[in-house]
Amino acid sequence: MGFLDQFWQLSVDGLMVGSLYAVIALGYTLVYGVLQLINFAHSEVFMLGSFGGLFAARALLPGDGSVPGGAGSIALVAVGLGAGAACGGLAAFTLERVAYRPLRRRAAPRLAYLISAIGASLFAVNLAGKEFGRQNVDLPDLFHNGTVFRLFGAAVSTQTLVIFAVAVAMLVGLDRLVAGTRLGQGIRAVAQDADTAVLMGVNVERIIIVTFVVGGLLAGAGGFLYAMTFNASYSMGFVPGVKAFTAAVLGGIGNVRGAMLGGLLLGLVESYGGYLFQASYKDVIAFGVLVAILMIRPSGLLGERLGRAA
Amino acid sequence: MSARPRTLGASVLLGLLAAVVTGPTGDSDEPLRAAWDSIADVRIVLFLGLAVALWLVLVLGPRLRGLVAAVTAPPRRRLTAATLTMTARRSVAAAGRRGRTVAVGGGLLAVAVVAPLVVSTAAQQSMVNDIGIYALLALGLNVVVGYAGLLDLGYIAFFAIGAYATAYFSSSTAMPWHAPFVLNPFFVFPIALILAALAGVVLGAPTLRLRGDYLAIVTLGFGEIIHLVANNADGITGGARGAFGVPHLSVHLAGVDYAWGIDPLPYYYLLLVIVVGVMVAFGRLERSRIGRSWAAIREDEIAAEATGVATLRMKLLAFALGASVSGFAGVLFASKQFFNPQSFSLQASFFVVAVVIFGGMGSRLGVVVGAVVLQGLAFYLRDKVQPADRYIYFGAVIVVMMIFRPQGLVPSRRRRREIELSEAGVGAADSLGSATPTVVRP
Amino acid sequence: MRRRPFVGAVALAAVVALSATACGSSGGGSSSGKETITIGFQGVLSGDNQQLGLNALYGIRTAVSEVNADASSPFELKLVESDDGGSPDQGPTAAQKLIDNSKVVAVVGPMFSGATKASEPAYTQAGLLSVSPSATNPSLTKLGFRTFYRVIAPDTVQGKAAADYLSDVLKARKVFSLDDKSDYGTGLSAALEAELKARGVALTHDGINPTKDYTSEATKIIAAAPDVLYYSGYYAELALLSKALKEKGFTGKIVSGDGSLDPQYVAQAGKAAAEGTYLTCPCGDANSDPNAAAFVASFKKVNNGAKPGTYSGEAYDATMALADVFKKLGKGADRESVLKAFGSVNLQGITKTVTFEPSGEVKGSNVFIYQVKNGSISVLGNTANLIRS
Repeated sequence: MGFLDQFWQLSVDGLMVGSLYAVIALGYTLVYGVLQLINFAHSEVFMLGSFGGLFAARALLPGDGSVPGGAGSIALVAVGLGAGAACGGLAAFTLERVAYRPLRRRAAPRLAYLISAIGASLFAVNLAGKEFGRQNVDLPDLFHNGTVFRLFGAAVSTQTLVIFAVAVAMLVGLDRLVAGTRLGQGIRAVAQDADTAVLMGVNVERIIIVTFVVGGLLAGAGGFLYAMTFNASYSMGFVPGVKAFTAAVLGGIGNVRGAMLGGLLLGLVESYGGYLFQASYKDVIAFGVLVAILMIRPSGLLGERLGRAA
Repeated sequence: MSARPRTLGASVLLGLLAAVVTGPTGDSDEPLRAAWDSIADVRIVLFLGLAVALWLVLVLGPRLRGLVAAVTAPPRRRLTAATLTMTARRSVAAAGRRGRTVAVGGGLLAVAVVAPLVVSTAAQQSMVNDIGIYALLALGLNVVVGYAGLLDLGYIAFFAIGAYATAYFSSSTAMPWHAPFVLNPFFVFPIALILAALAGVVLGAPTLRLRGDYLAIVTLGFGEIIHLVANNADGITGGARGAFGVPHLSVHLAGVDYAWGIDPLPYYYLLLVIVVGVMVAFGRLERSRIGRSWAAIREDEIAAEATGVATLRMKLLAFALGASVSGFAGVLFASKQFFNPQSFSLQASFFVVAVVIFGGMGSRLGVVVGAVVLQGLAFYLRDKVQPADRYIYFGAVIVVMMIFRPQGLVPSRRRRREIELSEAGVGAADSLGSATPTVVRP
Repeated sequence: MRRRPFVGAVALAAVVALSATACGSSGGGSSSGKETITIGFQGVLSGDNQQLGLNALYGIRTAVSEVNADASSPFELKLVESDDGGSPDQGPTAAQKLIDNSKVVAVVGPMFSGATKASEPAYTQAGLLSVSPSATNPSLTKLGFRTFYRVIAPDTVQGKAAADYLSDVLKARKVFSLDDKSDYGTGLSAALEAELKARGVALTHDGINPTKDYTSEATKIIAAAPDVLYYSGYYAELALLSKALKEKGFTGKIVSGDGSLDPQYVAQAGKAAAEGTYLTCPCGDANSDPNAAAFVASFKKVNNGAKPGTYSGEAYDATMALADVFKKLGKGADRESVLKAFGSVNLQGITKTVTFEPSGEVKGSNVFIYQVKNGSISVLGNTANLIRS
């Protein structure tokens, strides 16, 4: 029953959670790359996306409690992801319009954004609690969940596989978006030097809003994936939000690939740490590792700068 | 211009939102029912009316304002603190300004002395637990954030250190782990001060080389570690059970015997004395060589280093000083009442930061006003709205406040000048206080 | 476009203030000429645990509306709420608000042990009775709070009975005891483990702060291969833990305590994951007890269809016990007389018979065992009887 016997199983567990952290972390990193500010209300974008996806998928489930299979399952997951992403994107858009843009117009100090975000976060959390109730909400199984295959003896369930696959697909997609498209070029240009970008004809306001929305789409879809395993609730955003932010910093904030690496690493550290020590110390271990890594590499594992991601 | 219909649209959305916020409570079985019930209700007429009124004010506002300004120009000027200091700076000699500051300070102090006498005991409790303690914490954090320009998101950890130090030294029953002797909490003040400052140095020494946001996350991690250890180390701190039985403060000196008790009023006055003392002391510090060094670091660290400011030492000093105030507040809190690790959560750290920014970074009066306004608002809402909905309103007020007054309620003069300078393109202010460089006004 | 900050700020502030007052004036009672007696409620109405507070509040509201609907009752009850967020910081302020209101003659609450320790000195000083529906820390009745009563048994009672049941009936030889590191959870797991140790049952202990992610914890539990997992904590986390354990194919039995005795456990874990879980509680469960059907019906009616949850029944009983005392006292019910008379209350409640020890501890609580069967929680019986048979 030693640690080594469970090593692979813990790795699978850690990678699943870590991939979710990575998806959320991207929202922090993108916004940081473009605006150099920590979007503290991103966790609520995640929460709202989670509810949106959950409610949409639940509405389409057969009411008799049976588990759909095959094409039905795929369709349900797709609908959930789409609805989650849509809600997340909308929430991020609204957030930017209400809590950030007015501040940018009056050249507010950087910390004012932080406080505005904390206010928006309090508002969104408690309003969601009021509208959707304060209970955790379960999403019934959308597919038959069982062990698909074993990896060095570690069971990999359908759920784990779906979450990991979708998360990785989104991560790769975003990486391509930032590295290879015209939009990504614009984002990178603003991240490197906003003033010059303006002179080169980049519409910075548009890039900012698009960045928020892209981050929101990812967080919303990630929220749906999260709700599939971990239920949804009005206060669900805070902890994964802090973890994802940590992951973003760990990898080098502003760096897209860094956020991915940071997320997966954080998931693994938590999983191993929770097994080796009392589980209640797993956050202590996670933060300890973060501090240690920053001591050695003061700007994160892969360094900062969105521009360098490609 | 298309701005008017858009403003109307935004006003209507705001009205609908207000209707939903004040409407019935829903549940997850029918997620949209509560929102729908709020909108499909007669009250909606009221909210739409308000929305239209808001739109009219926004559209006609400039004209009305011109009219109002023409009639009431002199008194209106006096309304905003900003114009007050502006006029003061321009027209009154330095000595006169000083006199006025003293007069304003004296007036505020008088209000602070009399205020608790005219409110309920519950409000007095809140004035100690929420306003007083947070004002003290905000003053301490202000040194770190406002003076030295370092973002600390785990500030409450030092508060915890102070509180647990009190439990350790002044009671043999409060925690499983305790000192072999028992001290009066008054003697714990200096100990906690030193312990918290040491903790600040220990945390700061390796991490202060990190830049802005990295420092923020490391301090956040530190705060969470302290919180979790306090909660999980049952054998040492008592864990989630908390520390019960820390004695109240008492004085037995030269014939004076006085003991603080359950009544909040004596604690309030003690806190008031401490807060005023700290404000005066930090005021002197701000104007001293050290204060000028901090300002230099804040505005341009590299230039400061080049001109011979020991930047790392100065940053460490700010960290230690801020931490010690927090530790001090911890002793006061622990001796006042029972506490458990819940009091030292991450949210509490965020809240102190919010108080500092809300009140006005770098301004001593500002952060105290921030504590009064924010916590006062939370207390006021307690009876006005359903408790479960309290923080919806609270969050909304913070956002609105930041939109219309991002520099804080009472901004510091120096900070404002830095922002003006950076706006004008004359050098950048520090990483925290500067305007975002990417502003593009349409 | 020029901005108009000042006007805008004023307008927005006006909207916020208006909407705040618009909903602040809810409530208000009917005036039937009867004497009105005011009671207070101090509990968790904001923050992460507010659902527990709402459960209790709804229970109190049910009791209040039943008393007020009763034509034979010589008085009407009025309820004043005070939120402490479940934290010791806000406890004294919340308590003081009720103390300041001179009409309040008794309080239901505080709910959490931490808030209780912080608030009770003020209640004791003011001589205002407080009856907690949910604070189970064993030490609370030993700290010298003369105004403190509770209608729920302390953790020690439940922990011991649960341990007996695990080893005698479930024949557990190896138990994994997991708590949520809360005041309640650690207290319960300590009591459970002390008894299990005394009986020579092999034990693994772990603690995990409430979280959403129990995947790796499930791996850890399965690796330890226990006969029984006992979780000391609340239903929301037990639901997630059960889901994670089911996904990984845990074959042992899952048992938890009164914090998990809530129909929401099944709703949140899903029927499949919750099936077979045992729950211990020093209380009767309103939802499964036929004698409490009337209570459940009136609870739903009063609270917009909500079902009773954890602590709803206790809060209802506490309020009914207060009403019983008011009835006996007649006209002269004030803080002092209520406090004096409350110790001798004897009332058949929903969750138990409410009678008190001089310390404020509720007398002789039976611990009942429940099990999730076919997606609903049903009672198996009282531990003492189950062990005997």
